[in-house]
Amino acid sequence: MIRLKNIEKVYRTSTIETLALNSISLEVAKGEFLSIMGPSGCGKSTLLNIMGLLDEPSKGDISVGGESIRDFSDKKIARFRNQKLGFIFQSYHLINDLPVLDNVELPLLYRNVSGDERTRLATEALQKVGLGNRMKHYPSQLSGGQKQRVAIARAIVGNPEIILADEPTGNLDSAMGNEIMEILINLNKQEGTTIVMVTHDENMAKKTSRLVRLFDGSQVL
Amino acid sequence: MLKHLFKLIWKKKKSNFLMMLEIFVSFLILFAVWSLSVYNYRNYAQPSGLDSENVWAVFLNFNTDKDSLKIIYKDLVRQKLKSHPEVEAFSFSSSNLPYSFSSMNNGFTYKKKDISSQVMEVDPDYTKVLKLSLAEGRWFTEADKAAKIKPLIITRHLKEALFGNENALGKITGEKDDRKQVIGIVECFKYGNDFQKPENCAFTPSGDWQTDLLIRVKPGTSIDSEAKIAKEISQLGKDWSLEIQHLDKMKATKNRIVWVPILILLIVCGFLIFNVALGLFGVLFQTISHRKQEIGVRRAIGATKSHILWQFIGETLVIATFGLTLGIFFAMQFPLLNVFDVDKSTYLLGILFAVITVYLLVITCALFPSRQASQIYPAVALHEE
Ligand SMILES: Nc1ncnc2c1ncn2[C@@H]1O[C@H](COP(=O)(O)OP(=O)(O)OP(=O)(O)O)[C@@H](O)[C@H]1O
Ligand SMILES: [Mg+2]
Repeated sequence: MIRLKNIEKVYRTSTIETLALNSISLEVAKGEFLSIMGPSGCGKSTLLNIMGLLDEPSKGDISVGGESIRDFSDKKIARFRNQKLGFIFQSYHLINDLPVLDNVELPLLYRNVSGDERTRLATEALQKVGLGNRMKHYPSQLSGGQKQRVAIARAIVGNPEIILADEPTGNLDSAMGNEIMEILINLNKQEGTTIVMVTHDENMAKKTSRLVRLFDGSQVL
Repeated sequence: MLKHLFKLIWKKKKSNFLMMLEIFVSFLILFAVWSLSVYNYRNYAQPSGLDSENVWAVFLNFNTDKDSLKIIYKDLVRQKLKSHPEVEAFSFSSSNLPYSFSSMNNGFTYKKKDISSQVMEVDPDYTKVLKLSLAEGRWFTEADKAAKIKPLIITRHLKEALFGNENALGKITGEKDDRKQVIGIVECFKYGNDFQKPENCAFTPSGDWQTDLLIRVKPGTSIDSEAKIAKEISQLGKDWSLEIQHLDKMKATKNRIVWVPILILLIVCGFLIFNVALGLFGVLFQTISHRKQEIGVRRAIGATKSHILWQFIGETLVIATFGLTLGIFFAMQFPLLNVFDVDKSTYLLGILFAVITVYLLVITCALFPSRQASQIYPAVALHEE
């Protein structure tokens, strides 16, 4: 599905250069549930951003469905993100000016989906994460865990082929965390959704089909 | 998508309200400026009805109060002018020459109507001097001057005020000794300046005491000839004095009195609008830098660059439309209540042009910040949070 070859990512500021990723080669197969672990600052989020075509690597190749993204136009990348990907960010990244329901509808807004259909799908997604009663709330009126669940609902509403989740259970208590994990496992098992998940939790990682460990930007086996 | 924009705008109604208010005020200013410009342009575009090129206004002073002497002196002047090959035509006139600062008003009555009008007392050749063209009827001749009921030539505007749709030719206004008969109609006669709206004006044979003069000379008549003619005329009598002005220059002076204040107003308004535009530009830039995270999220979720570009332009246009709607509501009162007695279509054009100007302004101001927003790199925008 997604194939990374010798990916290197260097962040340059005026004073320092950070090698966030160092020669990463990784293939995510269709239907796989991959987890990524590693200490803070080792480059997990960076790796996920590159997989989601949100960020460009400094070196290396990315191919999606066998095509190198080098010749992808902005439009094509946007369409890929919109139709094939679902993102769950570490810090939720909800739009504070929009109510929960509209936040969840957002990916559908960039597809040809009618207003009624959008509302129906978003409501369904919110019910799946147990937030059917918070649809009219604004993100600022929600707890951290609730925001996390809204972010999950937004990621799954478009029924994507791949979900990239950056610590989706990081801000939840273990009960809620397990519930979210259930949802992801179900998606993976029943819908065949490919999932890449960053986690700090060994127990969560154990439930996935493959584990990749990062240390200081490099892959450790 | 529009509903989506409404929601975003509503959430930030406070700051958006200010922007809307700015657009509302700008619209009203632009509406005033455009209406004024349209009004003046339309009047300007109307034919003036007279040709001032190569025409001199001559102000004679015979240094006498006696009308009997004036008659004799005027004949001397006529003889002299006729002998000059440069002089094509001339006419004595009451002091309210075109583009002069004096005016002479009289009331005309017809069937209980009493209409005030500018009256110019002139010679039969006045029409040749100013190349007037008659829409109906004829100009008066030397023979008409002797008639008991004086001939009268009126502008279309006066004709409509006095006689409405009736045929005016042959109609008599006034009573007893003051009776005058309409024998001709001129379409228009913009005697004040080129921006004058159609007005009442009437021409009738002159009295003997008129000592102002209009002379049409051949094109290319030199300053030397002018000096020579002036000298010869002033030497006809003792203590005579005279002053020659060119009608074209008098017209330019009178025109300036109209357009200079308008130009100043335009500059002031242009400056105001420029400031509003700068403000708008600044606000939009600020808004967008505050919404980087939102832009990052939208891009991550599948928005293309052009989605982002149009979202921000769209939001600004929606806000502008609110401001304009409010503005149009106020502006529409002018044509509806017939304020200043100006043609409705002038106000409607003023509204149309102001709307177009505001939209162009808003799009121009929104384009650059919105383009900037669309170029934001999603990973960077999301990391900055
Ligand atoms: N935009 C950036 N500019 C400069 N340096 C960056 C930027 N983003 C990340 N880094 C650096 O790259 C390294 C990897 O960051 P990254 O966010 O991928 O870590 P992480 O593994 O996700 O950590 P955590 O578990 O705390 O989320 C860090 O050292 C970080 O300081
Ligand atoms: Mg991270």
